[in-house]
Amino acid sequence: MTEHCCGPGYASPSEAMQAPREKLLYTIAIYTGTGIQKPDYLCTIDADPDSPTYSQVISRLEMPGIGDELHHMGWNACSSCHGDADMERKYLIVPGVRSTNLHIVDCGTDPRNPALHKIVKGSDIKARTNLSAPHTVHCLGSEIIISMLGDAKGNAPGGYLHLNKDFEIVGRWENSMGDIKFGYDFWYQPRHNVMVSSEWAAPNTFMPGFDLEEVGHLKYGRELHFWDFEKREPKQTMYLGEDGLIPLEVRFHHNPDSSHGFVGAALSANIIHWWKDAAGEWQWEKIVDVGNEPHPEWPIPVPGVISVILLSMDDRFLYLCNWLHGDIRQYDISDPHNAKLTGQVWMGGLLDKAPFVNGVKVTGGPQMIQLSLDGKRLYVTTSLFSTWDNQFYPEIRTNGGCMLMVNCDTETGGMEIDPNFVVDFGKEPNGPSRCHETRYPGGDCTSDIWV
Amino acid sequence: MTQHRITIANRDNAVYRVDPHKPLLTSLLDQGVDLPYGCKYGGCITCAARLIAGEVNQKAQVALNNRQINDGYVILCVARPVTDCTLEIGVESHGDLYRNPFLDPLAAHELKADIATPLEEKT
Repeated sequence: MTEHCCGPGYASPSEAMQAPREKLLYTIAIYTGTGIQKPDYLCTIDADPDSPTYSQVISRLEMPGIGDELHHMGWNACSSCHGDADMERKYLIVPGVRSTNLHIVDCGTDPRNPALHKIVKGSDIKARTNLSAPHTVHCLGSEIIISMLGDAKGNAPGGYLHLNKDFEIVGRWENSMGDIKFGYDFWYQPRHNVMVSSEWAAPNTFMPGFDLEEVGHLKYGRELHFWDFEKREPKQTMYLGEDGLIPLEVRFHHNPDSSHGFVGAALSANIIHWWKDAAGEWQWEKIVDVGNEPHPEWPIPVPGVISVILLSMDDRFLYLCNWLHGDIRQYDISDPHNAKLTGQVWMGGLLDKAPFVNGVKVTGGPQMIQLSLDGKRLYVTTSLFSTWDNQFYPEIRTNGGCMLMVNCDTETGGMEIDPNFVVDFGKEPNGPSRCHETRYPGGDCTSDIWV
Repeated sequence: MTQHRITIANRDNAVYRVDPHKPLLTSLLDQGVDLPYGCKYGGCITCAARLIAGEVNQKAQVALNNRQINDGYVILCVARPVTDCTLEIGVESHGDLYRNPFLDPLAAHELKADIATPLEEKT
């Protein structure tokens, strides 16, 4: 690893970009909703091209229970505690959205064979904080904050769970949820004393599946919230309306001095950009609008459904996935007001543009992505959420998900699917599983925040 | 105490005797039936099963829309048997549970109970 004086992570985004290449990937795989009565698990995948087991799952850590629906995850420590020599990026916090259990996984002792360190039981979290349905995990110094999408009974808006560095429940992190209707993702930028949070829906709404009519009944989000980070309370709400239906992944620039950030509105298939203007007021605008595409068998055109976005560590490129169309796009956002499309690849999706890639039938569309610190390799998986998979891509039950790698040109822009990397989760030992979020031992482009 | 007989149609019609005051999920898990489940409060649909015969009380469920209820789905983690019942369990029973919402939208009366418009009585 990089020589440094202090704690985990890197002194700056530019130092992070110089880190050694990732050689292991940790990826979530689920059986929840598949009909296979086995626990969800954390895969370790060999990403070292010089290794004989390159592009293979080399170990699997099963969770103790069945039906957790592992989804997103985060590290116990990141560059936000780079100055703290007592901290180490050692544990992944792996929540179950349906069970509310938090699995604390030790990836540091033997990185090729992670082991379960501790479980924070969902029943304890519900009893202590009246929260359920954990989603995004961010560390803040040695503390951990997790967005919880519901109360203990799955009603919105939920709140934020606060854990200490020993993974003990401190309580609720926020002092107030204000008038916020729903929770989902969040990211903080402490030099501007701001946190931004987005909106999916109540767990009782999104967990059983997606009913389009419920969007019109205001059961899904369309607002973005700007928090006073130190006071731990919402300060300002942006009503995005039809331009911002179901705003999901929230990304600030990695540069801690920047006020610019972005959110992908899944159903509107737009990218919304926000920033603080010269007068100190937060502003927003739409910078990407993915058009609906005709489909031979559909009475209405298919929306892209932008299920994820992320920014390269140098804040130059924005990547997005259109889960229903089946494309990943790369935009140059050097001028954040003016995104320029510089790359596009196709895999799976409903438009039949690339049903097979690298010899594997791609079921689902590009969904979760993770970018290497140097910005050159983008790993992508195909499952979104078990019940939503079952609605849009029912064949995923028998085919499973898959992971591919996309090579990204960081000089002139451009993307190409790597022909030598594919992990077919349809061939897992216990039967077809579905792969979701990925993290690297040394940090990645959605894990680290600089304070 | 009166127990109800629960027949599992897709497990060779195996029969279990259950307490009418306990959720079916709890009673069946306790007797060794392998069932999927998630939230255990009636909100996440993971444990949905199809009721082929009989009656349950599932007032506490909030996962199903009216179409799914009309198709016979019940949420085992909160449903309590009112009579003897026959069930089809597991993901094998989920054939009609999931539909593409763009291709097959719900009618106003098929939404979840809190937002559904009741069908007008035909006179």
